[in-house]
Amino acid sequence: MVTAFDYVPAIVLLPFVSFVVALFLGKYLPKKGAYGGIAATAGSLLLSIWVLLAVRSGSAHQETYWTWAEGVGAQPFTLEFGALIDPLSALMLVIVTLIATLVHVFSLGYMNDEGERDLPRYYAGLGLFTASMLGFVIADNLLMAFMFFELVGLCSFLLIGFHFRQEGPPSAAKKAFLVTRFGDYFFLVGVVAVFATFGTAAFSGAESFPALAESAINGTTEGINTFGFEPTTWFTIVGLLVLGGVIGKSAQFPLHTWLPDAMEGPTPVSALIHAATMVAAGVYLVARMYGFYVLTPTTMGIIALVGGFTALFAATMGIVKEELKQVLAYSTISQYGYMMLALGSGGYVAAVFHLTTHAFFKALLFLGAGSVIIAMHHNENMWDMGGLKNKMPVTYWTFLAGSLALAGIFPFAGFWSKDEILYEALIHAGSEPLLFAGYAMGLLAVPVTAFYTFRMVFLTFHGNARSEIARNPEPVRWNVKGPLSVLGVLAAVTGVINMVPVQKVLGLEGIDYLHRWLDNEWGGIEGLSSHHYAEIGPYSSTYPFGTEVATVLAGAAISLALALVGLGLAWKLYNVAEPVEHTAKLGGAKELLYNNYYQDEFQVWLANRTRGVSGNADTFDQGVVDGVVNGVSSVSLVSGDRIKRIQTGVVGNYALLLTLSLTALLVAFAILGGWF
Amino acid sequence: MSLLQIEPTNWIYAMWSLQPVVILAVTALLVLGIDSLSPDSRSNRLLAGTATAGTLVALGVTVWYLAAGTGAAGSGGPISLFSDAIVVDGMGLFFIAIFTSVAALVVVASVDYLEDDDNPAAFYSLLLFATTAMSLMAVSNSLATVFISLEMASLPSYALVAYLKTNRGSVEAGLKYFLIGAVSAAVFAFGISLVYAATGSLLLPEVAAAIGDVTDLAGILGVGILMVAGGFLFKTASVPFHFWAPEAYEGAPAPVSAFLSSASKAAGFAVAFRVFAVAFTPALDVAINWGLLFGILAVVTMILGNFAAATQTNVKRMLAYSSIGHAGYALIGLAAITAGASAANATVMGAAMAHLFVYGFMNTGAFLFIAMVEYWGVGRTFEDYAGLGRKAPMASIAMAVFMFSLAGLPVFGGFFSKYFLFLGAINAGFWWLAAVGAVTSALSLYYYSRVVKALWFEEPNGNLDALDSKPTGLYAAVIAAGVITILLLPGFGPVIETAEAAAAAIFA
Repeated sequence: MVTAFDYVPAIVLLPFVSFVVALFLGKYLPKKGAYGGIAATAGSLLLSIWVLLAVRSGSAHQETYWTWAEGVGAQPFTLEFGALIDPLSALMLVIVTLIATLVHVFSLGYMNDEGERDLPRYYAGLGLFTASMLGFVIADNLLMAFMFFELVGLCSFLLIGFHFRQEGPPSAAKKAFLVTRFGDYFFLVGVVAVFATFGTAAFSGAESFPALAESAINGTTEGINTFGFEPTTWFTIVGLLVLGGVIGKSAQFPLHTWLPDAMEGPTPVSALIHAATMVAAGVYLVARMYGFYVLTPTTMGIIALVGGFTALFAATMGIVKEELKQVLAYSTISQYGYMMLALGSGGYVAAVFHLTTHAFFKALLFLGAGSVIIAMHHNENMWDMGGLKNKMPVTYWTFLAGSLALAGIFPFAGFWSKDEILYEALIHAGSEPLLFAGYAMGLLAVPVTAFYTFRMVFLTFHGNARSEIARNPEPVRWNVKGPLSVLGVLAAVTGVINMVPVQKVLGLEGIDYLHRWLDNEWGGIEGLSSHHYAEIGPYSSTYPFGTEVATVLAGAAISLALALVGLGLAWKLYNVAEPVEHTAKLGGAKELLYNNYYQDEFQVWLANRTRGVSGNADTFDQGVVDGVVNGVSSVSLVSGDRIKRIQTGVVGNYALLLTLSLTALLVAFAILGGWF
Repeated sequence: MSLLQIEPTNWIYAMWSLQPVVILAVTALLVLGIDSLSPDSRSNRLLAGTATAGTLVALGVTVWYLAAGTGAAGSGGPISLFSDAIVVDGMGLFFIAIFTSVAALVVVASVDYLEDDDNPAAFYSLLLFATTAMSLMAVSNSLATVFISLEMASLPSYALVAYLKTNRGSVEAGLKYFLIGAVSAAVFAFGISLVYAATGSLLLPEVAAAIGDVTDLAGILGVGILMVAGGFLFKTASVPFHFWAPEAYEGAPAPVSAFLSSASKAAGFAVAFRVFAVAFTPALDVAINWGLLFGILAVVTMILGNFAAATQTNVKRMLAYSSIGHAGYALIGLAAITAGASAANATVMGAAMAHLFVYGFMNTGAFLFIAMVEYWGVGRTFEDYAGLGRKAPMASIAMAVFMFSLAGLPVFGGFFSKYFLFLGAINAGFWWLAAVGAVTSALSLYYYSRVVKALWFEEPNGNLDALDSKPTGLYAAVIAAGVITILLLPGFGPVIETAEAAAAAIFA
C-alpha cells in the first residue's frame, strides 16, 4: 500500500528539481522560475502535511535509501542516506515548506515586480536551499545531517551575496561563510569522534549513538571506544564539538557576528534563511540528538548559559539600531538564545514550541519589513519613515501581530512559547542553580525585547511621515499582502497548540497538543520522546512559589509585566508625532551598543594576532612547498631536454645504445643471480 | 603429438573457437580479392566498408564469447588447439577486443586519409593482416607461435609506417623501425633458443614445469628469459628498446601511429603477460628475478617517456613519448608479480589489462585527432594548434577528453584504470612503483594540458582560414573514441571485472 512515507524523498527532490529547472531554463520561463519554485514548494508542503497526518494517525518511519560507503575489516562503518520521520521532523517539514512557499510567493512582489536582474540565479538558490534544508530535516544520521548542514551554509553564502556587483553583499557573504565554517570545523571533528566512539552515527534505534551512549553511562561500555576517558567526560567533549556547528549556524555568542551582516541579502532570503529555517538548523540539531545531550549535565549547563547570555546580549544591541532589518537581525539572535536556554534547561518541548512560533512571527516581521522596504524604495532607515500605518494597513496590522508575538504579549503566539521556556528554566533551577543565571538573563531580556520591538513599530508606522518617500510610499500588491496575512494569523493563534498554563490553572486536560505530539502519544519512534528525555535528563522539578499552579501564574505574570513595562517605555518615548533620538540617555553605554560591544573589532584583533602563525605557514608554503614543486618541474624540463638529445636520429646510435643497455642488464642480473 | 595428428572434426572446433581471428584473416583476403577483381575502379569506400564490417563483426564475436564465458574457468576452462600451441581463454579474448576496437576506429578514420590514394587496398589489407597477427599473439601458448605471430604483426607494421612512399619522413621512419625490429627479433629468437636449451620445450606450461629441474642451466635460462623480455620490450616500445617509437610514430601516417601505439603495444603486453605469467613465474626464484627487471624498466620508462614528452614542441612527437610513458605504467602489471601471491598478481595484472583497454580508446582518439589536423594541413606544433577549439569545437572537446583522461584526471575513464593499477601495485607491496607512477602522472598533466590550452585558450595565428572541409570518417572515429572514453568512467566496473577474472584464470 502506498503510504505518505513513500513520498518523503519527493519532499526533498521537488525543490531540487525547481533548482535545476530555474538554473538551466529559468531565463526562458515566465517570471524566471518563480512559478516552478512555488509549485515545487507547495507540492512539498502538501506532501509534508500528508506525512504529518500519517504520523498523527500513529505511525513513524525510518528508512535507509542508499548506503554509499561500506567499511571493511575492523571498522565496519556504513555511511548512509536515509530518512527519519518522527513527530519532530514531521513538524519541522511542515514549518520549512510552509515558510518556503510563502517566501516564494512574496519574492514575486519583492524581486520580480521590482525588476531585479539575474532572477533565475535567485530562484535556483532558493530551490537548492529549500531542498538542502529539507534533506537536513529528514536526515537519519549525523553525517548526512552534516552534509546537508554544509549545503544550506553554501546556499546561504550564495544568496547573501546575490547582489554581488555591489560592495557590501559579497563581503557579508564571505563573513557569514567563514564564521559559520569556523563552527563547522568543530562539528566535523565531532562527527568523526562520534563514528570513532560508537561506530555509527544513526539518530534512532537501539544501535543509535544516543542509545549506545545511554547504556555506556549505565555501565555497558561494550563496543564503545572512549579513548581512555570516563564515558561522561568523553561524551561532554564530543557533545561540545558538535555544539560548535550549532553555535555558528544558530548565531549564538560568540559566533553571532555574521547574522547582522547577512541582512545584505535580499529580504525574502533573510526571512527564509536567516530567520525561520537555516538559523533554526542548529537548534533543530540539538533537539534531534537531544537524547545524547541530556546525558551530560555539563553540556546542558553550557547550552543554557550560552543561550541565556545570547538572549540578553543580542537584545541590548537591538535597542539602538536605526535600520529595520538590523533590529530584526539582533532580535533573531536573541530569540534563538531563548531556544538554546530552553534546550539547556531540559525544556525540549518548549524549545520546539518556540522554534515553531518564532519561525512564523519572525518570517512575518521580515516579510513585513520587506513590504516597508518596497514602499520606501529600499531605504531601510527607520528615522526616514513614520506614519506608514494609514498608507499600508495590511502591512501594519500584520506587522503589529508579529511584534506583539515577539514582545511576548498575551495572547499572541510568542507569549506562550517564551513563557514556557522561562517556566522550564525556573522549575529546573532547583536542581541546578546555574539555571537561575540563565533564567535571570532570559527574564531581563523580556522588557528589552518589548522595548526594541515597539520602538521599531512606532518609528516605522506611527507619528508623522519624516521624508518625502514616506509621505507617498509605493503600493504593494497581493503577492506581498497574501503571505503577510497568512503569517499574521499564524503569529496570533499558534499559541493554541500548546496552552500548558491554561491547562494547569484551569485543569483542562489534553490541550497541550505539542507536549502530547512530541511525547509520541500518536506515533513516534521508541527512545525519541520528550518523556524519555525527561527520564534520562539531569533535572528534577521544584516549585519556588509553592504549588505548581502558583508558579505558573507567578512566572507568567512576571514576564508579562516586564514585557508591558518595555512596551510602555517605548510608547512614551517614541509614540509621539515627531519622535527624537533618546540614545544619549544611555550615556557611555550608547557607543558600546552602537558598536555591538566591539565584537567585530575583537574578532579582527584576534585574526590579526594569528597573522604571525599564518605568516609562517605562508612562508612555508611559498618557500618550501612551492619551491619543491617549482624545483621538480624545472629539473623535469632540463632532464627532459637531456633525454631528448639521446634521440639523435641516427639508427646506428640506437642499435648501439640498445645493445649496450641489454648487455648492462645481462651483467647486472648475472651478478645478482649468481650465474657465473 | 604433432600438428597433423589432429582429428578432422577438431578443425571445425578450432575454427569455431578462433572465429575472431578467422574473420579478420578472411576480411583481409576479401579486401585483396575486391581489389584484384576491379583494380582500376576507385573503390576506397567499398574497401573501407568491408574492413570496418570485418573488424566490427570480429569485435562482436569476441564480446559475445567474453560474455558467454568461452574459455573461462566456469565453462570448461581454456580451449587448447593445435597441440596446445594456441589457447583461447578470457585473457586472449579481452586483448582481441582491444585490437579489433582500435582497428575499427583506425579503418573508419583512414577513409578520408586515403581518399586520394592510388592503392587503398594495400593499406586496409596490411592493417587487417597486422590485426590478425596481433590476435594470434594474444592466444599463443607456445614460444614458436609467439615468435611467428609477433613477426607476422611486425612486418605489415613496417610497411604501414613507410606507407607514404613519397614522404621522406615516412620512409625513413619505416626503415629505422625495420632495422631496430630486426635487431630485436634476433635477440628474441636467441632468447627463445636458450630457453628451449634449458627446459627442452617451447610450450609455455611445459617450460614452467621444467624450470624446477634446470639446476646448473639456471644461468642459461636467465639469459634466455632476459632476451625474450627484450623482444617484448621492442613490441611495447619500452626502454631500452624504445628508440624506434618516437620517429616511427612521428613519421608514419597518423592513423598508423594510432594503430601502432595502441593496438601493437597492447599486443606486445598481451603476449608478454601470458609468457611471463604462465611460463616464467617459477623462474622468479630459480634463474632471474624478472619482476625486479621489469620494475627497473617500468620506472625508467615512466620517467623517460614523461620527461621527454614535457619538452616537445611537436604535438605528435609529444604523444609518441607519452605513449612510451604509458608502456611504463602497463609494465607495472609485470613488475609487481611475486612468486606464490596469485591473488595479488592477478589483481595488478588485471588492472594493467584494464588500463590498456582504456588506453586503446583514449590514445587512438588522440592520434586520430592529430590525423585530422594533418588532414587540414594546419601544422604540427603547439602554436599551430592555437584556437582550433573555435573552428572545430566538437573534435576539440573530444581531444580535451583524451588529454585529461590520459593524464588520469578523475573525470574520465583514464582515472580509474590508473587508480586500480597503482592500488594493485601498493597492495602487492610495490608502493614505489605506484609512487613513481603518481609523480609522473602529475608531470604528464603539464604537457597534456598544454594541448588543451592551445586548443581553447590561445588566439589563432591566422593558419586556420583554410580549415573548411569536414572529414566525416575522422570525425566519426574521434567522436566515437571520445564518447567511449567518457562512458568508461561509469562503465569501468565490467571492464576491470572481466580483466581481473581473465588474469586470475592465468595465475590459477
